[in-house]
Amino acid sequence: MKNRLKVLRAERDWTQADLAEALEVSRQTINAIEKGKFDPSLPLAFKAARLFHMPIEEIFDDEYTD
Amino acid sequence: MNAINNDSQNKKGRGKTATIHLAVWTFTWVFSLALFAFGPKLLWDYDPTFTVIALCINFGFGFKMIMANKHHLSRMDEMQRKIQLEAMAMSLGISMVFGAAYGLIEATRLLSHSPNPSNILFVMGISYGVSVAIGSRRYM
Repeated sequence: MKNRLKVLRAERDWTQADLAEALEVSRQTINAIEKGKFDPSLPLAFKAARLFHMPIEEIFDDEYTD
Repeated sequence: MNAINNDSQNKKGRGKTATIHLAVWTFTWVFSLALFAFGPKLLWDYDPTFTVIALCINFGFGFKMIMANKHHLSRMDEMQRKIQLEAMAMSLGISMVFGAAYGLIEATRLLSHSPNPSNILFVMGISYGVSVAIGSRRYM
C-alpha cells in the first residue's frame, strides 16, 4: 500500500523515532510502513490521520507498490 | 505532541516491564524444571512427596511463564506481533511434522535407540528463532 508518511514526516521535520513515539509503535514498524513492506491496521491508519489532521485517504492509497 | 509522547513513553515502559517479567518467569520455570529433573536424585532420594511438590511448582511457574508470554505479546506493536505470530505458526508446524516423523524413527528401524522427546523442544526453539529472524529481516 502506498502512503505519504515519509513526506508528511519530513514536512514536520520529524524523525522516524518521533513518529513511532507519536503512533505508539516501534521505529522499525514506521520504517516498514514507509517502505510499503507492512500495511498498517485500520486503527493505526486512523491514528496517523488524526496526528496529521488529514483524511485517511490523503495519507494512504490503496494501490500496492509491489 | 508532548502529551502523546508521555503516553508513548508510558507504553514503552510497560513493554519493557512485560519483557522483564517474561525473562524472570522463564528463568524461574527453567530453574523449577532443573529442580524437578535433578532434585529426586540429588536432593531428596526419590521421595515421591517432594517430587510431586516439585512437579506442581514446575507447572505453576510454567503457567506464569505462559501468561507472561501472552502479556508480552499483547504489549508489542502490530508488526512485531505479526512477526511473532508467524514465527509461532512456523515453529508449531515444523515441530509437529518433525515430532510425528521422529516418533516413528525407532519403529521404522532407521535408528536403534529410542527418540528423546526433548529433542523436539530444540527443533521448536531453533525454528522459532530462525523464523523471527527471517520475519524481522523481511520487514526491514
